[in-house]
Amino acid sequence: MSGVKLESIVKTYGALQVVHGIDLEVLEKEFVVLVGPSGCGKSTTLRMIAGLEEISGGQLTIDGRMMNRVAPKDRDVAMVFQNYALYPHLNVAENIAFGLRIRKESNAAVDAAVAEVSGILGLTDYLDRRPADLSGGQRQRVAMGRAIVRRPKVFLFDEPLSNLDAKLRTQMRAEIKRLHKRLGATSIYVTHDQVEAMTLADRIVVMQDGRIEQVGTPMELFLNPANSFVAGFLGAPPMNQIEAVIGEGADAPMAEFAGGKIALPKLPGLQNAVGREVIVGIRPEYAQIATAPAEGVVDCDLDLVETLGSEALLHMSIHGKPFVIRTETLGQVAELEHVTGFSAAPDLIKVFDANTGVALSGQMRVA
Amino acid sequence: MANMNLYSRGDKTFVIINMVLIGIFTLSTLYPFIYITALSFSSGFAATAGKVVLTPVERTAEAYNYILSDRMFWVSYGNTFIYTIGGTLMSLAFLIPGAYALSRPQLYGRRFWNLMVAFTMWFNAGLIPFFLNMRDLGLLDSYFGIIIGFAVNGFNLILLRNFFEGVPRSFEEAARMDGANDFQVLWKVYVPLAKPAIATVALFCMVSRWNGFFWAMVLLQDQDKIPLQVYLRHTIATLSDDPEFTATQLNASYSFETVSAAIIVCSIIPVLIIYPFIQKYFEKGILMGGVKE
Ligand SMILES: Nc1ncnc2c1ncn2[C@@H]1O[C@H](COP(=O)(O)OP(=O)(O)OP(=O)(O)O)[C@@H](O)[C@H]1O
Ligand SMILES: [Mg+2]
Repeated sequence: MSGVKLESIVKTYGALQVVHGIDLEVLEKEFVVLVGPSGCGKSTTLRMIAGLEEISGGQLTIDGRMMNRVAPKDRDVAMVFQNYALYPHLNVAENIAFGLRIRKESNAAVDAAVAEVSGILGLTDYLDRRPADLSGGQRQRVAMGRAIVRRPKVFLFDEPLSNLDAKLRTQMRAEIKRLHKRLGATSIYVTHDQVEAMTLADRIVVMQDGRIEQVGTPMELFLNPANSFVAGFLGAPPMNQIEAVIGEGADAPMAEFAGGKIALPKLPGLQNAVGREVIVGIRPEYAQIATAPAEGVVDCDLDLVETLGSEALLHMSIHGKPFVIRTETLGQVAELEHVTGFSAAPDLIKVFDANTGVALSGQMRVA
Repeated sequence: MANMNLYSRGDKTFVIINMVLIGIFTLSTLYPFIYITALSFSSGFAATAGKVVLTPVERTAEAYNYILSDRMFWVSYGNTFIYTIGGTLMSLAFLIPGAYALSRPQLYGRRFWNLMVAFTMWFNAGLIPFFLNMRDLGLLDSYFGIIIGFAVNGFNLILLRNFFEGVPRSFEEAARMDGANDFQVLWKVYVPLAKPAIATVALFCMVSRWNGFFWAMVLLQDQDKIPLQVYLRHTIATLSDDPEFTATQLNASYSFETVSAAIIVCSIIPVLIIYPFIQKYFEKGILMGGVKE
């Protein structure tokens, strides 16, 4: 079983603590993605797993073996670097073979492994080239080849696609996914691109300021973010968050805010909670457009329509606060100019405590 | 030259001034070579009379006859090769691992060691203490003494260290992930990457060994161990002290000017032969393509 287990992992640089006790269990063959804003400690955590940074506190086990003091080469992990770090003086074949040569594998075994890996990655025609003579995507592939050729227990990726252009990134993302299906190796992948996280991950780990905010499958995190940070981090565009106060409601709790009010789901924390400060979270996809004032419609001003083809983003403002709606166009772009407000089904609304940001319990149901 | 039409008027002026300056500089460095060569093929009389400017006057190869038939010329020539090759190899053997170690952040007491190395660039013990030190170590009058005594120089060490420091850390990290130990990281990754820097340092070592003169004179008594440069000095001293030679100098076919010029020409030839082979390592951009910024 080649799982990776982090228990209370801490990293300090001198007096400065940058990772504050991380607990995470990555199961065998699982693809786990670490996401979070810049500087939140993703790379540091990954590099501690790789053995490139010393672990200041806590325990790391790979495959049930304690790894804190084991050298990188003896951990049986491979890493793909953001800048690729291909050896410029070696050609593609030698780059891929480097790790095997160091481990004194026989020539026949090395040749066979290089042939197989370059076949998988479509590098067969480039084996004699130096890295300088490859395109960005090809270099990226060589970096992957160098990692997979050793068949390590665990793959680590640190923003491997961030140097590619958008199109190539989408393509390589699919390729990484396919590769993972094919090799089935435990993978830990760092990115700050939430689309990469959503599409690649079996489970996503959202980090902030050296702590884990939430761990779960992409859909779990999307539908039931544990707090307003996660809600604002995943999804493109992210969830709208409106500061509101609970007001009197006939049968459902109502959120009142400058510029309107909206009915909330009947959550335990919202019963008899008049005056409680909350954050109302509405995904851009779950807001229904309205073209005339009506009961249950929040009036807003339309600032801008961004047409994406089959969909459009409506940038609205409620009393000066931004609110984004994502809606299908069905070819009727002109109609969208007349939107004057939105409504949202209570079931599709998330509510967070305004002080702690923690989500009030309750599962979102999607029709 | 690039197509001048692509330059603006101001650029043209700039290019022309550049070319003139570079031309003057080239001529001024080239002229001593030409002069020395011309001198070595001139007669002693012409040389002493100061008639040689650009081409040999009263062309003769007598100066070469004189030195090539002297056994000591060949012995010292051979010694210079021993000091140059042995010394350069010895220097690299110390400088490469030393500079690499000093460049690594994980080196214990790194600041202290770097300071110690830099210290030797500004301060040294001075001539006599160094001589006594060499004597007490039993390194006088030996090939090994000359080779080891001057193997490491702070400037070269720091030059190479700075290069190693400039190589992105991810090369080391990638190699470590690939299973390399410290020595493998150095020999299989950093040394190949550092070829231009190592070639530069090797060239510095070679040139200083090839021209090395002062310490060889101080530390070597045994005439069979002296290098070419010391032989050159001896020859000039011998010829100028030789009353018979001085007496006949006015109509001599060679003089100590032409003989020293001939020795200098002979000592330049190997450098001219080796340089083109080293020059190809002075290529820039060897790091290109391995990492992406
Ligand atoms: N050598 C170091 N000394 C001190 N602080 C460091 C050092 N290396 C990293 N840090 C700090 O640790 C924190 C986490 O850095 P890390 O590189 O893990 O962030 P990250 O999540 O990977 O960010 P990014 O998305 O920008 O790559 C940062 O605040 C950074 O400034
Ligand atoms: Mg990072």
